[in-house]
Amino acid sequence: MASASAMSSPHKPRRKPKKTAHFDANVKPEALVRSPTFPLEALLWPARSSLSQWEVLPLVLMVAGLFRWAAGLWGYSGLHKPPMFGDYEAQRHWMEITTQLPVSQWYFHDLQWWGLDYPPLTAYHSWLLGRIGSFIDPSWFTLYTSRGSDDPALKIFMRATVIVSEYLIYVPAVVVFTRRYSQLFGVAQWPASLALVAILMQPSTILIDHIHFQYNTVMLGFVVASMSSMLAGRYMWASIFFVAALGFKQMALYYAPVVFAFLLGSSIFPRINLPRLFGVAAVTIASFAILVLPFVLGALYDASRGIESQPALEGTHAPLPIFTFLSPYLDTTATYYPVVEQIVQMIHRVFPFARGLFEDKVANFWCAANVVIKLRGYPTELLQRASLLATLAAISPSCAILLIRPRKELLPYAFAATAWGFFLFSYQVHEKSALLPLLPMTLLLAGKQGLGKEVRSWVGFANILGAWTMFPLLQRVDLRVPYAVLTLLWAYLLGLPPTSISAYFQKGRSTAVQWATFLIHGGFYLAMAVWHIAERTVTPPFDKPDLWVVANVGLGFAGFSLCYLWCQWKLIQESGIIASWLPKANNDKVKTK
Amino acid sequence: MSETYPTIAQCAIVATAFKILLFPAYKSTDFEVHRNWLAITNRLSPWEWYYEKTSEWTLDYPPFFAYFEWLLSQIASLVDPAMLRVSNLEYDSWQTVYFQRFTVIVTELVLVYALQRFAESSHALDKRAAQAAAISVLLSPGLLIIDHIHFQYNGAMYGLLLLSLVLARQKSTLLASGLAFAALLCMKHIYLYLAPAYFVFLLRTYCLSPRTILRIQFANCVKLGAGILAVFSVAFGPFALKGQIPQILGRLFPFSRGLCHAYWAPNVWALYSFVDRLLIFVAPRLGLPVKAEAINSVTRGLVGDTAFAVLPEITPRLCFALTLLFQGIPLLKLFTRPSWDAFVGAVTLCGYASFLFGWHVHEKAILLVLIPFSLIALKDRRHVSAFRPLAVSGHVSLFPLLFTPAEFPIKTVYTIFWLVLFLMVFDRLAPASQRPRFFLFDRLTIIYIAVSIPLMVYCSLLHQVIFGKSYEFLPLMFMSAYSALGVVMWM
Repeated sequence: MASASAMSSPHKPRRKPKKTAHFDANVKPEALVRSPTFPLEALLWPARSSLSQWEVLPLVLMVAGLFRWAAGLWGYSGLHKPPMFGDYEAQRHWMEITTQLPVSQWYFHDLQWWGLDYPPLTAYHSWLLGRIGSFIDPSWFTLYTSRGSDDPALKIFMRATVIVSEYLIYVPAVVVFTRRYSQLFGVAQWPASLALVAILMQPSTILIDHIHFQYNTVMLGFVVASMSSMLAGRYMWASIFFVAALGFKQMALYYAPVVFAFLLGSSIFPRINLPRLFGVAAVTIASFAILVLPFVLGALYDASRGIESQPALEGTHAPLPIFTFLSPYLDTTATYYPVVEQIVQMIHRVFPFARGLFEDKVANFWCAANVVIKLRGYPTELLQRASLLATLAAISPSCAILLIRPRKELLPYAFAATAWGFFLFSYQVHEKSALLPLLPMTLLLAGKQGLGKEVRSWVGFANILGAWTMFPLLQRVDLRVPYAVLTLLWAYLLGLPPTSISAYFQKGRSTAVQWATFLIHGGFYLAMAVWHIAERTVTPPFDKPDLWVVANVGLGFAGFSLCYLWCQWKLIQESGIIASWLPKANNDKVKTK
Repeated sequence: MSETYPTIAQCAIVATAFKILLFPAYKSTDFEVHRNWLAITNRLSPWEWYYEKTSEWTLDYPPFFAYFEWLLSQIASLVDPAMLRVSNLEYDSWQTVYFQRFTVIVTELVLVYALQRFAESSHALDKRAAQAAAISVLLSPGLLIIDHIHFQYNGAMYGLLLLSLVLARQKSTLLASGLAFAALLCMKHIYLYLAPAYFVFLLRTYCLSPRTILRIQFANCVKLGAGILAVFSVAFGPFALKGQIPQILGRLFPFSRGLCHAYWAPNVWALYSFVDRLLIFVAPRLGLPVKAEAINSVTRGLVGDTAFAVLPEITPRLCFALTLLFQGIPLLKLFTRPSWDAFVGAVTLCGYASFLFGWHVHEKAILLVLIPFSLIALKDRRHVSAFRPLAVSGHVSLFPLLFTPAEFPIKTVYTIFWLVLFLMVFDRLAPASQRPRFFLFDRLTIIYIAVSIPLMVYCSLLHQVIFGKSYEFLPLMFMSAYSALGVVMWM
């Protein structure tokens, strides 16, 4: 395993004493004295030798929790923004739908007012939270009179539910993953703890979940749990966790091809393992079944009590929203019909095929291209097909590699590359979807040379750019201050621009590559800074009111494409495929795209 | 090791990020108090400062603090002039909040500087310990709760105090130390409690010859006397010329207030009141007289004026005498052996005595004990084991300051974080003591610390569930009594 990567790059010991310009003054002649190279290292410096992980971990979790809760003191999306409010209202509304209405009406109730459009696990999660919340104060969830509620106590409850859900799912998953992934490379415990802090303090996750308000970390937590089960070789658990992720938020589909490729690949290569293949397939199907089972039972039970899914229709059945070709074969009076109706409606709600290629301005290919050629002029079907083809093209290299080389070390690279592919080219992307590729990319910090300068500079670049592309979303609700604080803090901790450029230069790596990376990243960081100043001071011309958002989208797309290419390249490099073809390939040369 | 990591600056940066995130947190009336003072000092002539009473929060700090507010108000007028209108009561536009919160963070740099000086002034071997102590003060939950959530400027003022303490470490800067302390007194008079220690230390080391106390160093006496006089005349001089001193003193020392402050500082009087409360139920059986008017106030503990039902009333004079008595003991020791460590110890104990026996003590005054003590806590294990229960009780006693549910996780988790981290670090860094320990006492402190957890749970969560809104004073009283027990036990 390690030999393959050693072939492609000369093996460097992790704890090699580094000399950097910044700390030169402190380096003593005695070789044993090292000094931290970036502030996060310095902050955990005393924990290096004497403390065990069990002493560090609680402290880390407390600090991460404190920052989350403090961030949550700020406003959420849609606060005092009638008529529709925002994501916060959507989540609150789902809690009242699920607790106040029979199961068969969940996906049908007043779809104009934040109708439920997430898969069933979100609905169950909302039900549980709604139950707990109603116990505290029933007036929060009364279905009609509570719309747009800005009760401060409700805000505290909602913020607490995000943190508790995250600490039950995402945090344990990340802790276990960093442990397993770092052990895979023989990385010591202390650098793994550093990586854990860096992952938990990821600015965009805190900004979206704890400030803007959503439960992404639940889905991401299941994905990380799935990845860490893959590391441990528990393939069935991996598929269970992944189904849970999909069942919580359909966005997890971004990872689905690579999960499929890995699970399939590890059942076929190096030799076919049929029990594993069938086991995984059976478990996957079974977990999907369990996922929708409460729904099916609920629909049947409601039907037996004579409860209609759409009471407004007074007994008649609306035609199926999609899959209309099924209608001739279905008997609307049969006992199975409510189940079919529910499932079809759920799929219809969860996958909005009818919507356009993109909604808001997102830093992906379509939005960026729209600036140059007006895509709205083209027929939707053509665009859908183009989007499908482009996405397939973007994700197929990483999936193919993982299929033929299903190696655990490659997982984060492949997950990141595939998710970037989806983010850049697929249909109906959200700004917040950037969290999906950012997560596996950030997990790289726990791996081989994870805190070394190359990985750190790229992971940092992606995260800071990611947070920056979310800025238009956040500034709509006056969240500039927490945005600036959390992003700059993270940059500072990891020794990244704008606080330091020490992550770019290191002895022993090709100077050309270092300078190229530095110049490219530096250009982006500079552009982001200039953009922030311009956005504050210059009002866009009258005929181009979206100028700054469009500039953000264009730059974001360019930067994310680089991140995609980097992940793809590292995946190819680490998988050793090139090395097996060209034994003497000098990889560093190729990297300067 | 030429440098110890993490550095104070690195911790300060991360802490600052956290403090900025706390901008929208709960703020007490002290926020309005300081806004009002900004307005008073900006819009009125200095001769009206101590007479103005549009707001109930009149200026009751000494003149240097008023000057300080005047300085801040010059910048405030650029940010949002509306906050400077004296009649604009309870004004809290977001510019005002940002500005005032931000000034707290900026002025806290004095503390950062003082701590840096402290760490640098320590000898090579103690440097790690000194740096750990410095960071513990910098990250103190007390300062976080009081300054950055509740709202006050303690960071700046404790910074000045520590600077003065650090300056006292070297012979050449003793004079500067005395003057810095004088300036501090002219900012906030609560530091008068520490003045006896300064008086004794400077008298012994600066005004008297180091070898024999019988030779007086006249030149030093003159320098110190003239310096202090100069500081005080800059502060109070202008007001003295206008004959306003009685008015200022009336504002600074409001003896009309009750014995216990609104939220029951955890001192001897809290225990005294607690016993009194218990005696209400027991006294009739013992045949003791119970004053009826004292029982009638159900919300006792929340009102300023505390009347005792059974036990005799306490007069300010008695408080004063007890405070001086207990301050006298460490001061005698300091006079005979005037080392810097003994000096900081004496400062701590002076603060402690006044906290325990003072009249109308704020629970915030516990910082007078905790912060100087942090500097010498790492001297040896005995000091650490004394520090431990005091740190727990002192910080827990600050919890009632923040009663809003949104701040509950912050105050508790942050305090637990700080206690776990620094008690662990202190344990590792403190050298063993020369003298044997009292084993039984050690066990007691562990029990004491363990009790704090159910107590916190009860006071913050269970009480509301069980009693709802009634008996609100109960948790406060439990908290104070518990904390008082810890604080008193520490003697």
